This record gives sequence, structure tokens and C-alpha cells, in this order.
Amino acid sequence: MFNLENLDIFAVFMFFLALFGLITARNAIKSIVFTLVMQTAVIMFWLFLSARTGTIPPIIYDQAILYDITAIADPTPQALMLTAIIIGISVSAIKITMLNYLFRKYSTADWYLLHEMQAEEEAENPYN
Amino acid sequence: MLTYFVIIPVLIAVFLFVFASNKGARVLAILFQAVFVALSLYLLWETRGEEITVVIGDYYGVMGIILRAYTTSAVFMVLCGIVFLAVAIYSFNQSDSRTFWFLLFILQSALVGLFLTRDLFNIFVLVEVSTVIVIILLMYDKKNRNMLSGLVFLMLNIVAMLLYLFGIGYIYMLTGVFDIQRAGELLAYVDYSDKMIPYALIMTGIAFKCSIIPIFSFLPKVKLYPKAPSAVAAILSGVQIKTMVYMFLRMQDMFGDFSSHNFFLAVGIVASLAGVIMAICQTDVKMILAYHTMSQVGLIIIGLSANNEYAMLGGLYHILSHATFKSALFLSIGIIVHSYGTRDVYKIRGVLRRMPIVGMVTLFAVLGITGAPFFIGSISKYFIAADVPFWLNATVIVISLGTIISFIKYAGILFGKDLGAEGDAVKPDIWRIVPSAALGIFCLVGGIFGGHIINFLFPLYDSPASIDTWGYIEKSLIFLGSAVVGFLIYKYIVYGNNTLKRIGRLNIGFRSACAAMGAFFGLIVIFVGVM
Repeated sequence: MFNLENLDIFAVFMFFLALFGLITARNAIKSIVFTLVMQTAVIMFWLFLSARTGTIPPIIYDQAILYDITAIADPTPQALMLTAIIIGISVSAIKITMLNYLFRKYSTADWYLLHEMQAEEEAENPYN
Repeated sequence: MLTYFVIIPVLIAVFLFVFASNKGARVLAILFQAVFVALSLYLLWETRGEEITVVIGDYYGVMGIILRAYTTSAVFMVLCGIVFLAVAIYSFNQSDSRTFWFLLFILQSALVGLFLTRDLFNIFVLVEVSTVIVIILLMYDKKNRNMLSGLVFLMLNIVAMLLYLFGIGYIYMLTGVFDIQRAGELLAYVDYSDKMIPYALIMTGIAFKCSIIPIFSFLPKVKLYPKAPSAVAAILSGVQIKTMVYMFLRMQDMFGDFSSHNFFLAVGIVASLAGVIMAICQTDVKMILAYHTMSQVGLIIIGLSANNEYAMLGGLYHILSHATFKSALFLSIGIIVHSYGTRDVYKIRGVLRRMPIVGMVTLFAVLGITGAPFFIGSISKYFIAADVPFWLNATVIVISLGTIISFIKYAGILFGKDLGAEGDAVKPDIWRIVPSAALGIFCLVGGIFGGHIINFLFPLYDSPASIDTWGYIEKSLIFLGSAVVGFLIYKYIVYGNNTLKRIGRLNIGFRSACAAMGAFFGLIVIFVGVM
């Protein structure tokens, strides 16, 4: 069976990969995607905290059976991650809306060009 | 009882979402806000020397979300209530947009929640909520918005909070609880090397949010200030950044034995020097104020990290005094810019003649921020530098000197001949003058009764803080000396200097700020690892 033990290392790796992506990607869409990757890495890390190989879901099927507490997956991180996912989705929606506005105004999604155009605008009219 | 502090603002917000266009409803909301301030003063009285905790949902032990009020958090809640009351009165005639009023009070609820909660995950959620609300408050006005800076600011904040979320995942792995106090107790038993990574992750996130990563964390934000409504700017600088400073304090408490004081001391010094230098280079009035937020927060961090009781007290009091004079400055500059129709610091002249009350408020607040004797800033700066090594004392004096130079430039708007006729010289609205004047007067009151206020607000420290008269006179003389030096430097070096203007236009993109965040993380790991 697929071993879940070392996957949190993978989550850490993915997190820093996303940070590297954020530093290097010039396109704003890519930056948004990399924040999503980063978020996924964090969520994965949280889920691997609670569920390891051999753990069972935290559902009591039969009141008569006594479950081994250490073998049950911890439901708290999972519940919290639902909140984090919802926050992530709504914030991404805002980010994409804002980028959409910028793209319509400047017809580019390149960070460098966007900053340059803004600097030009400011130089023209600094105290509007 | 504590839950009501979070719920009342939400109820006001919902009420205003329906009736915001009605003047009577807005008066009612302001009255409710006054009740909120009164209640938080009562809470402050109740929590003197003890603490109140409420477990939401009556769960056993640390299973539920725990709200906790103790003296420091009650002080911050009073502060939050007062600034929001001032802002609500200030915006009374300015805005009948229900988006504005709704979001204003939801924001208050989120910030109060941050001061009260003891749950690590709750902090994440509330910080995200407040960030998003601030962004919408800044962007909803279609004419005045700086979308690019808003996007950069939002994305950087999200990245910072993801670092924080990662960190609390580690904390949960190590301790199994989300409660700050319990986690702090359990972390004492955890190996030092295991705590390093979560410490670095959480501290990077928090340091970014309180904008003390030098330059990089504040520049994306500062661009938002010029176009922001003054009321929102006052909240951003006055309260929102303070919640993160408070978080900084609590996280340092939680991790306990890390000897990272020197690291954050250095960071604070660099941040405040950078903020002062950038402020000297600006010619836009709102940008000058915005950069001073950075330098003053740096000063607060110096106070909190100096590992010395007096400096700590000074840092805490400086949070209050900064909130007071910075909101007074932002609210009054809003009236001035509205009347003159420009933000150029060299074009606005003769405010004292055109609007005497607003001019006096600005003068009081400027004296407060520069640390003039008898004003509120002098007390907190006195305490920060009261009992520290000589080099740190000298650094604080240099920072004050920089503050004085840029505020000599800023105070130029008060005097001189009113060129006038450019703006429509409208008669200022009484609803806007009253809250600014109240905050301006508090700049003086908080200075004259500073020692008593400190002893009343922070009684937890066993030795009552006292102000040494000779020490205070010495500080006042240093202030006068640096005012003279500052005036000379301003006159011969800063005035109309084009090189400085070019430095002031420095801009930092999204990617470099991300890189700075990564580098800051690495630095903390290295520092904590070596120590």
C-alpha cells in the first residue's frame, strides 16, 4: 500500500517550490497559481498530520466496538482545513477579479510591465 | 460577556447595511459605538490585575475557542473603540455608501476578535478577514483606486499568512493544541531544534504583517495610502497594524526561551531608520505620514525587544501614542487635502490661517510624533530610552532627529502665506473637525498625565514606573538641540533636493518582496540556530 509516512516532507518541498515560483514567475496569473500551489502544500501538510498509514476515519459505526484512539484519524485539522480552503477560494476570486481589471486597463499581466506603467502614470500626475 | 464585544459591531454593521442612507440611523450607530467604548473602559476596570476568560460553547479545558481579556488586551480594545468612534463621526457626512459603513464595523469586529482570542487558528481566520475587508474598503471607490498596489498588497499578505498557517500546523503537530497559553506551556518541553522551523515560519508571517521587514514589506502597502480615504488610512495605521504588533508580542511569549531579542532589535532599528529616510524623501503629505508608520512601528519593536522592563512599557505606551497622533494626523490631513485640492507638501501653505482648529490639531499631533516635551510621544520615547545601553539610546535619538527633519517639512503646511484659490475653500464640516480635535487634545493630555496613565493602564509590572524629572529635562534639551540641528539639515540639504526625490520614488515589486520574505525566513532560522 502507498505509504503516507513521509509525505509531509513532500509537502514542505512543495511549499518552498511554490515560494521559488513566486519569486521567479513574471506573469501575474502564474503568481496566483503559485499561491494556490502554496496553499495546497499547507493543506496537505495539515492533513498528513492527522492521517497516517493504517488510521481509520473518525466515524463510529457501531457503539459496541471499542476503538483504539491512536488509530483514529484526527478530525480537527480536517475541519480547520475546510475553513482554510474556503478562505483560499474566496481570496483567489478577489485576486483574479483585481487582475482582470488590471488586464483590461493595461492589456498585460506581466509584473514588470505593470509596475512600469504605473510608475509612468505616477510620474505624469503625482498628486492627482 | 466577552463575546458581546465581537457581536455588537457585527449587529451595528448589519443594521447600517440596511439603513446607512438614513442620517438618524448613522447617529444611532455612533451612539452604539460610544456605548462600545464605555463597555471596553468597564472591561479595562474589571481586568486590572486579573484576567477574564470565556470558553465558547462550554467545552472542557482547551478544546473550545477561548476568549481572554487581560489588562493589555483591554487597553487595546479601548484604543480600537476610540479610533473607530472617531472615524465613524468623521465619516458621518462623508459617506452614505452602505458598503463603507457595513465593512467598517465588520472590520472592527474582526480586530476586536484578534485582541481577545486565544486560539491560533482563529487568529489566521480573523487576519484574513481583516485583510480582505481593508482591500475592499480601499478599492470600492471607483474614481480613486490604485489597483496594482492593492493586488500586490493582497497577494503578499496571503503568502505571509500561509507561512503563519504552516507554522501553526507545526505547533499542532508538536503540542496537539491550538490554545496559545497551553501551547506555550507544552512547547517548553519540546526540543529547541524542533521549535526552530515553526518559530521562523510564524515570525516571518507576523513580521511581514507588522511591516518590519525593512522596506520590502511596507513599500507595496505605502502606495495605497495617497488614494485611500483618510478615515481608512487612520484605521490602517492606527489600529490594524497594532493588532499584528500585539500578535508579535504574544508569539514571542508563546515560544518563550528563544533568545531572538537581539535579532528583532536589529530589525526594528533597520526598519525605523529606513522608514525615516524614506519619509524625508517624500513630497506627498500622505506618503510622509505613511512612511512614518513604518518608522514608529520599528521604534515600538525596539521597545518590545530591548529585553528591559522600562523599554517594554515604553513600547506598549508608544502603541497607544502612535495610534493617537497618527489618527489625528490622518484625519486632519484629510480635511486639509479636501480644502486645498492637492497633496504636494510644498504647495499647501497657511493652514493655521485658513482653518485654525485643524491647524492646531496638526500642530499638536506633529509635536506628539516628534517627541516634544509635554506631548504624548515624549513620554513613550523617554521610557523606551530610559534604561538602555548608550548605543541604543543614541540610535533612538538619531531616529527622532530623522522624524523631526521630515516633520519640519510637513509642518511647513501650517505657516506661510495662503496661496489659496486652488481648491474650492469649502468650510470644513463640523463632524470632521470634532473627532480630529478630540484626538489632538489627547496628544497633549496623554503627555502631561503620561506617568499616571502608564501606571493606571499597565499595573502588572510590580515597580510603578516613575518619570525622573532630571532625565526628562535632559530629554527635552536633547529634543530642542535636535530640533535646531534638524532645521539646519532641512534648510541646507533636504529642501528641494532632487536626488532625495528620486530615492523617494523607489518601488518594489511583488517578486522582490517575496524574495525578501524568503530571505527573512532564512535569516531567522540561521540566527536562532546559531544562538
